[in-house]
Amino acid sequence: MKKIILITVVFVSLMFTASCDDQLELSNPNALTTDQYWKTESDAQAGVNSIYAMFYKDGLWARWIYFRLDLTSDEGFSNSPWTELADWTRFNYINYNFWEGNVVTWRDTYKAIFRCNQVLANVPNISFQNEENKKQILAQAKFLRALHYYYAAVLWENIPVVLTPSLPNDLPEQKNVTEVWAQIEKDLNEAYADLPSTWASDQTGRPDKGAAKAFLAKVYMQQHKWADAKTALEYLISGPGAKYSLVSNYKDNFTDVNENNSESVFEIQFGDQRKGGTDESQSAAVSSNRAQFFAPRSIGWSDGQARFWLVNAFKQEKDKNNGIDIRLKHTLFYPGLLADFGDKVYGKDWQWGADEAWFRKGARDYYRSNEDYYNQVNYRLIRYADILLRYAEVLNETGNTAGAYQYVDQVRARVNMNTLAAAHPEIGNDHDKFLERLKTERVLELAGESVRWEDLKRWGDLDSQSSVDKISLRDPDFKNFKVGKNQRLPIPQVEVANNPNLKQHPEY
Amino acid sequence: MKAKFTQILKQRYYLLFFFSLLLQQTYAQQQITVKGRVSSTTGEAIPFANVGIKNTSNGAVTDFDGSYSIPAKPTDILVFSSQGYKSTEVSVNNQTSVNVSLTPDALSLNEVVVVGYGSQNKKDLTGAISVVKASEIQKRQITTVADGLQGLVTGVKVRGGGRPGQEANIEIRGLKNLQNTNPLYVIDGLITSANRDFNPNDIETIQVLKDASAAAIYGSRAANGVIIITTKKGKKGPLVVEVSAKSSFTSMPRYSLMGTDEFAKLNNQAYDNAGIPRQNLNMAVNTDWQDEVFENGMIQDYNVSVAGGGENSSFFMSGNYFGNDGTVVGTDFDRISFRVNSSGSKGIFSIGENLAISNSKTDEMSGNPIIDVYRLTPTIPVYDASNPGGYGYGKQGVADTFGTNPLALADFSNATNENFRIRGNVWTELKFTPWLKYRFNLGYETSFDSYNFMRKLGNWTLNQPAEQSFINQNKARSETLLYENTLTFKKAFGKHDLTVLVGQTFQKDSYNQIYGTKRNLIINPSTGQYFDVLDLGDLPEVGGFKNEAALTSYLGRLEYNYDNRYLFNAVIRRDGSSKFSDENKWGNFPSVSAGWRLSNEPFFKVDAIKDLKFRASYGELGSGNIDPYQYQGFVNKNGAIVLGNDQVLYPSGTQVRLANSQLRWEKLKQTNLGIDLGLLNNDLRFTGDYFIARTEDVLFGFPILNTTGNDGGNPISNAATVENKGFELELAYSKKINSFSFNASVNFTKLNNKLVSLGNGQNESIQGNTITRAGNAVGMWYVLQTDGLFQSTAEVQNYKNADGKVIMPNAQPGDIRFKDVNGDGEITNEDKDIVGSPWPEFEMGLNAGAEYKGFDFSMNWIASHGATVYDGFRSVVDRFDDNSNYRTGIHPWTPENPNTDFPRIVKGTTLNSRGDSDRFLENGDFIRLKYIGFGYNIPQSVLAKSGITRARLTLSAQNVITISKYKGLDPEFSNSNIFERGVDNGAFPNLQTYSFGVEFSF
Repeated sequence: MKKIILITVVFVSLMFTASCDDQLELSNPNALTTDQYWKTESDAQAGVNSIYAMFYKDGLWARWIYFRLDLTSDEGFSNSPWTELADWTRFNYINYNFWEGNVVTWRDTYKAIFRCNQVLANVPNISFQNEENKKQILAQAKFLRALHYYYAAVLWENIPVVLTPSLPNDLPEQKNVTEVWAQIEKDLNEAYADLPSTWASDQTGRPDKGAAKAFLAKVYMQQHKWADAKTALEYLISGPGAKYSLVSNYKDNFTDVNENNSESVFEIQFGDQRKGGTDESQSAAVSSNRAQFFAPRSIGWSDGQARFWLVNAFKQEKDKNNGIDIRLKHTLFYPGLLADFGDKVYGKDWQWGADEAWFRKGARDYYRSNEDYYNQVNYRLIRYADILLRYAEVLNETGNTAGAYQYVDQVRARVNMNTLAAAHPEIGNDHDKFLERLKTERVLELAGESVRWEDLKRWGDLDSQSSVDKISLRDPDFKNFKVGKNQRLPIPQVEVANNPNLKQHPEY
Repeated sequence: MKAKFTQILKQRYYLLFFFSLLLQQTYAQQQITVKGRVSSTTGEAIPFANVGIKNTSNGAVTDFDGSYSIPAKPTDILVFSSQGYKSTEVSVNNQTSVNVSLTPDALSLNEVVVVGYGSQNKKDLTGAISVVKASEIQKRQITTVADGLQGLVTGVKVRGGGRPGQEANIEIRGLKNLQNTNPLYVIDGLITSANRDFNPNDIETIQVLKDASAAAIYGSRAANGVIIITTKKGKKGPLVVEVSAKSSFTSMPRYSLMGTDEFAKLNNQAYDNAGIPRQNLNMAVNTDWQDEVFENGMIQDYNVSVAGGGENSSFFMSGNYFGNDGTVVGTDFDRISFRVNSSGSKGIFSIGENLAISNSKTDEMSGNPIIDVYRLTPTIPVYDASNPGGYGYGKQGVADTFGTNPLALADFSNATNENFRIRGNVWTELKFTPWLKYRFNLGYETSFDSYNFMRKLGNWTLNQPAEQSFINQNKARSETLLYENTLTFKKAFGKHDLTVLVGQTFQKDSYNQIYGTKRNLIINPSTGQYFDVLDLGDLPEVGGFKNEAALTSYLGRLEYNYDNRYLFNAVIRRDGSSKFSDENKWGNFPSVSAGWRLSNEPFFKVDAIKDLKFRASYGELGSGNIDPYQYQGFVNKNGAIVLGNDQVLYPSGTQVRLANSQLRWEKLKQTNLGIDLGLLNNDLRFTGDYFIARTEDVLFGFPILNTTGNDGGNPISNAATVENKGFELELAYSKKINSFSFNASVNFTKLNNKLVSLGNGQNESIQGNTITRAGNAVGMWYVLQTDGLFQSTAEVQNYKNADGKVIMPNAQPGDIRFKDVNGDGEITNEDKDIVGSPWPEFEMGLNAGAEYKGFDFSMNWIASHGATVYDGFRSVVDRFDDNSNYRTGIHPWTPENPNTDFPRIVKGTTLNSRGDSDRFLENGDFIRLKYIGFGYNIPQSVLAKSGITRARLTLSAQNVITISKYKGLDPEFSNSNIFERGVDNGAFPNLQTYSFGVEFSF
């Protein structure tokens, strides 16, 4: 008996002892390693798709970037009880590490760029059946990298330029904004070469040649490279890419009813299929939160609202039928909305201040009484009306003011406004007057579409105290604006502290 | 075995017989026979205790029932002694019956200490090991073992809280890494965690291994120290049934907050000062949110155990119910646990098992009501039918706050956790010869975890976005399999004592989970409740994951003892972990220690000193305490994008989180110097230790640059070097004078933490209001400094830097003056500076107890000195830029009330409310009566007929006295963020607990 037990015990324990070392080789049963990935065409496809997924992150086009582009500009402001959040829309930058105001947008920008760089580094090694598909994937990655650098350059100006997949210890070097623009131009030009002029209907939402040219125009215009911008824009207006037209119903630019229409040049595709957050978890959302954050009190978070001067701006000029500019109806919720156009606010009577207004573009009041985090309305980042007005601006800047009229008129005609010459005969061919009027035209057409901040910068309106003083009459937040400082955001302090190759802007 | 045993008995009786003869011959006429019983203080018989007559060699031995009989003279003094108990002397005084109870000698030198894969006599220890009496832990009303250790052991810092099911944080000898401070728990040889599933009533002994040499045998997992728990075993003799029941009432400490009238005055003042229209406050409402949310809690703890044993086998069984009905609405913790320990032997073969089964269920707290009670203003009604769901919360223009209604949260957002756990081991031992032993230990632990979260329709805060109802459930299973083979050689050669242990162990941990979500739940019309299973509803989501880790080790230990004077101990352990890449999988971790017992040297002749020993040790420990697969980069395929005219989803896949491929073992190098001193017949004992613990290649995921685009968690790297230096002193005194005995001990721990280098190319890491910078302790306060208030416009204008620039031109009288540290004439982030430490300079414990006849009394005090803490409560209620309730009795600055340190209150501007200033830093010193208890053992005479051998009543209280200047709820709070350990951000406070208990055995 004793012997049997003895033998059994020894035998059993020896069995356990054997081959333990092999057990240390455990591979992750949950995910592909980066080494296993980037082997097939579908890896490449999913890889480039992941860059588009960055539009759905809260630092970017799901949420907070609107606070930087729309609310910081004189079109909007924040009256949020979350004081720090509001402070970051009125140039009270105290804590440069404020996540929602600064760091998250910075981080998500580079997160997107990391994805672009992964595609650009890995996809060339994948063999494709059709080499054209590979080129298009790389071109998309370049386009999107340029897009993200573009907005980063608008916001922070001198930033590190990262062009290869990141490693944990990277300390990328800061570049002057001119170098950043140059990199963006390079990417866009290369993207233009390989992007198709149009996508199959099941791929709508990817950039085509027109989108690349449109972004090129934006980059050139910010640098006042008017001639280059003109060439780029002509591709869309009169060149081989002239496939665009204004939709007859202005409202169709802001609902989910007629998305990716003839006016759309580049459109961020939002959906409501997934109900997760803006993170990387399984059900990560594909939606916009903007309307939830901008909807009026008691309907949404009401963290951002429109300046009331916009209401008055629309009412300066009547349309051909002596009616109110229809664009007011679709741009803002304001006290007179019911009286002027018969619309309520998400089905509610006006219950907000008599001098308050809220952004309406992208709101879903046309079919529901509230908002949530899952707004599916696509965001028209560049639409043809913007292109036309830009072309008018470029023509004006290149001495062809007379030639610019017709493009403004196209935009005005769609909403039944008189021609510019008829409505404002005092302008004539005066460059400055025309530009001044164009600024208003852009507001009336594009208010709340995230172009105002770059417009103000391009026009130099943030460069002198006198013009800032003028803006502060419309938007008292600009009383806090320090010329030479607040035209760009402070770089997140945590980045400066830990990267010897990155300096804070001296004025901060 | 049996034969041997009876042989011993025979020998003793023979001696007794011999002595008796001797006595009878000499003193026949003066002799009386004294009979009696020797028992422990808890009433258990002490067999084989020695009964001697003082100054003679006469003696007797007690039998199994503790009974003895000895011839003695009426004037003799009897001396009772037994191993593990203090000797007691009783005068005969013509009595023929003398019953004695012996008090256990906690400091007995012959005490055996479990040291990992073996045991040593306490006197032979060369490392820093603390032994805690199980009864000290069990007398408190605790959820986890860690709670019970507070204040009892030097070098062990515990911070708990009163949330039902809350597990205390425990830190042995400082913050040695940056991941996780929890020590390794070894329960009956099973490497595990003594979490809330474990019943502390089952503990027999507990030891804390603190230095590297002591913990080295556990190698890679022991860097945070080791707590070895042995559970109760059956003893030879008749069945012993023990029953105990304890009921406790718990109550929350309260904030002193304003009612509507007082609140309105200040709220209006803040709006007036900001020049904005006042809120239209609802003066008809006066809600005391603390009354609504806090309630008295109740803890019930019932325990039954049955133990017994025969010649060759023993068993112990216990059952426990622990129920904690929380002090916050909608919180609850219930645990049922069972244990069976048994062992048996036959010849050279013995076998045993320890098995515990438990089921615990927690109704988790939703949101943080500790914060909500002060974020909500008294003007908000608890219920408001006009809100979706019917609960009151902030309203724009009326009660402008985003505070969440805790009652609504408890109702609409409810999470429960349930764990069913089986934990146990089976061991067999073969004792080939008296000096060679082989042991095989197979440990297994598995837990079935079930999480259930339900979101019902309804709102709890202002402007809340519409959200569908949904249910999210997950089911998980964790498993740990451990097997260990050890061979022990133990033999004495003359004065040389040698023990050699070699062994091999393998452990595999796995965890897998599946989860699912469904939305738009349906309400069951007959109950009015939601269907809470994953069946009804739409938009299903499922997922799952699995984690596995394995560890293989080879170990060896040499213990050498020469003549009880020179002690030497060496350990080597080689560990291989699946968590590191192939080239870095293996690490070798050696340690050595030595001791010199000076008091045993022939030349040492100091009568007052009974014991004096010096100890020294050095050791290296590896740690691989990270999640599995960290050295590899992975592709996240969770994302999707919308494309096409039909707006359909397309898959995405990319690397989100970066990884360091070169991860290697974190290494702790610890040096320990110690002294053990016993004076006055060991009544007074002193233990002192000095240690330097340096951790290199600390595994931690410091934030990396955002320009890397990293997300989903910081990549783990071998980042920092951390050093902890400190000393620990313990002084204990115990004495028994007739039937009165008392004991007292003081322990003192001083610790200096320093981050030697941050690594990873980083200079510093700022988290919230703390900075972790090379050369300083981890998480130092890094804030702006306030310098009083401006009293006049002139003061504002005169506050200039060296260049004459007005530093705070926009300030008004009553505003805070901040120091312009860098002298640039502006208050910016650059003016932040290190202003204090969240680390205590020292911590102390004072424990005292006394016994008289059947009564006993004990208490534990703890004290902490020198820490600066951030009062999260005040940082909310004193800010005024955002609405909240306020502290009663504050008098903010007004032109009429200039003599105050409370600045002007202004709604909507952060000027005076900056959270990143020293305004909210406070002195975190405290002294607390952690435990005070009385017990009464009902005398045997009363119990005699009932069949009950022991009955005891206890009355105790915890956390009843706290001396502190801290203005928050509880200075003894914990924050799980290592870098923000001093931030009290709504930490759940320790509760005042009043307990009544009954214990009896038969």
